[in-house]
Amino acid sequence: MTKPVRLDNPVIEIVDVSKRYQTEGATAVNVLDHINLSIRENEFVVLLGRSGCGKTTLLNVIAGLTPVSEGEVRVNGERVAGPGKGKGMVFQQNALFPWLTAKRNIAFAAINRGLTRKLADNLASDLLNLVDLAGAGDKYPFELSGGMQQRVAIARALALDPKILLMDEPFGALDELTRNEMQDELLRVWSARRKTLVFVTHSIWEGLMLADRVIVMSPRPGQILLERRIELPRPRSRTDLTLLATYDEIWAALDHKTLTAMPARKAAS
Amino acid sequence: MRPRARLSERLAGMLSVIVMLTIWELASRFGWQDPQILPAPSEALLAAARLLGPWDLAQHVGISLFRILAGFGLAAVVGVSLGIVLGWSPLAARCLRPFVEVLRPIPPLAWLPLAIIWFGLGEPSKVFVIFLGAFFPIFTSAWRGMTMVSPTLIRAAQTMDVDGARLLWQVAIPATLPDIAAGLRVGFGLAFGILVAAELIAAKSGMGYLIMEARQLGQLGIAIFGIFLIGVVNLVADHQLARAVRATVGRWSNV
Amino acid sequence: MTHRGYRRLGDAAVPGVILIAFVAGWEAVVALGWVRPIQVPPPSRIVASALELALDGFPAGTLLGEHVGITFLRILTGYALALALAMPLGLLIGSNRTLDAATAPIVTFCRSVATLSLLPLAVVWFGVGEASKVFLIGYGCFWVMLSNTIAAIKLVDPVLISAARTMDTPPAHIFFKVALPAALPRMVAGARVALGVGFMVIVGAEMIGTTRGLGALIMEARTFYRSDITVVGMFVIGAIGLALSWGLTCAEAWLLPWERRQQERDP
Repeated sequence: MTKPVRLDNPVIEIVDVSKRYQTEGATAVNVLDHINLSIRENEFVVLLGRSGCGKTTLLNVIAGLTPVSEGEVRVNGERVAGPGKGKGMVFQQNALFPWLTAKRNIAFAAINRGLTRKLADNLASDLLNLVDLAGAGDKYPFELSGGMQQRVAIARALALDPKILLMDEPFGALDELTRNEMQDELLRVWSARRKTLVFVTHSIWEGLMLADRVIVMSPRPGQILLERRIELPRPRSRTDLTLLATYDEIWAALDHKTLTAMPARKAAS
Repeated sequence: MRPRARLSERLAGMLSVIVMLTIWELASRFGWQDPQILPAPSEALLAAARLLGPWDLAQHVGISLFRILAGFGLAAVVGVSLGIVLGWSPLAARCLRPFVEVLRPIPPLAWLPLAIIWFGLGEPSKVFVIFLGAFFPIFTSAWRGMTMVSPTLIRAAQTMDVDGARLLWQVAIPATLPDIAAGLRVGFGLAFGILVAAELIAAKSGMGYLIMEARQLGQLGIAIFGIFLIGVVNLVADHQLARAVRATVGRWSNV
Repeated sequence: MTHRGYRRLGDAAVPGVILIAFVAGWEAVVALGWVRPIQVPPPSRIVASALELALDGFPAGTLLGEHVGITFLRILTGYALALALAMPLGLLIGSNRTLDAATAPIVTFCRSVATLSLLPLAVVWFGVGEASKVFLIGYGCFWVMLSNTIAAIKLVDPVLISAARTMDTPPAHIFFKVALPAALPRMVAGARVALGVGFMVIVGAEMIGTTRGLGALIMEARTFYRSDITVVGMFVIGAIGLALSWGLTCAEAWLLPWERRQQERDP
């Protein structure tokens, strides 16, 4: 358990949050165990860990899609009681509406928060330009590649003019080359439209490339293992060796915590 | 997208049809088989042309089409609506499910005698039975489709402040459209078979009746003509339905 | 009982209660004279008629058991014949691209011909006896099974065939030990559809020109205004349909032990 970091004006406050799942007969599983976390405005935070460590659950809790068993989540001072209301989200699986074109998908989010059709269409065009898909507005999702679909999904989340942006392994389903492109793309978009961003991944290197702060989590019970700030300016090089030390640190922490049954690793020569 | 058949394959298809028709024709002509039992295609066409006025034919086809459109249309409206309601509301599903499970195993044709008792020998009894035939596949696919809407889509909509009635109309129902379309096609096919059966058994007009009457008058040629006519009408109607589906739902999904 | 146990009982009880309430309401509505019993026979009457059918028989002394037996025999004969012909033929056609292309229009067309429309022809060819009915059932089941079998063998995952070839499998083995088992699940699904078609056909076929068999039973009952017997017949037909479907499911489990049936919640 980490000590809560006190920030002056946190946008997201996770206070002593626990999430329990009770299955019939078995003992209760603490997917999240007394998590404390504060995220400041426009900070890019990455939640990192193996599958099943609770990082996605934590994201869902912030989004309001999953209720907490204990504790409280506040966004901009208000308690989170449900999804929506400025908490934009991008999912790993395809969440675009297949019956709407790319442009209409984005406009949907805008119309939903009250814009007229014309204003929504204009906003959608702007956002399509932002994510480099100016010509693809009239295509249906099934006509777009995986990377393009995720770009539309990001644009759609931005169309909400959200307070915070939550991303659940958005590039997990893409091949490595596309994934690298998308990471660059995301950073470019984020620098143009700064938002508080919480990003979930299982890739250590992805976290190091993107984050201001990396939060490493471990499973059963779901806890924060360690936190590291990455102060390097962006865009960061994928072959930057100064990040290796942090990589090793995180790897060792994860390795040690999750493979407790195996004998201790010999130190690398 | 389905790959288009190679030209040689399509030619082979047409060739085999021609060959079959030729063999059939020759078999009757040269007495390899009794023309009383199975008249040649040319005979069938001639008999139809001679004895069946175009106006009569149009009337029979017309009444058949009316029946199936009425029955199918009704089934589409009721089936889709009911399927959506039961798929959306678990409470409604639990209440109505026992009735569905009890009635579903009964083949629609088995309702015909009861339908005649209720509605007499006129149009409503046939339309009712056709309705039942199309209803169950349409209803089931709409229901299933609703319960299987991708939860990710629902969650994504929820993050955009969409819930309640808007979630139903703007997300759940569009997402179910491919399943509904598939159900409509199956329902139509079944309805057609039932139409013909109902007309054979208990009607005084329509394509099925035409065949029955032809046989009773010993006009086998007309009967064969009628059978082919039904096959052609069925294919054409299904083709049109498939086209309509491809033009709407097919634009954004693999249907 | 645990909390969950109570909940499960509740889940099962709700449909039961609804049906019982419905039946009671049905009986009441007829008893109160809101509906004529000739239109809507009350449940009590239906049960009585069921017994009458089983013990005395209708019409003219044919017992319910006889009707059921005859219908069963007709379906199973036609169905078995159709499958015996359609499966080898389908496998052959589906394995050969040219043959498939050549026969495709014929298969599609014959499948679109409404089976019952052949009834008058069947009577001319086979007389009014059993043969014409078996023929009709066979015809309907055959084309459905044929087109499904053709599709089944065509849709075998090419990866499986490639894998077999890399292991020096002789061609006959590739067909019988790889392609056929791979196609089997879809063939069973086709058999299920064919059974449904056969079932529909027999009910219709029995409504004309015969007094024995379940279809004949309900049609004759109507002529005598015995709507109660009609309803009994309908339910029996439904039960037969379920029994046939269940039989096929058992056969499927025996044929396809490697297919783990997902417990889908079937609407």
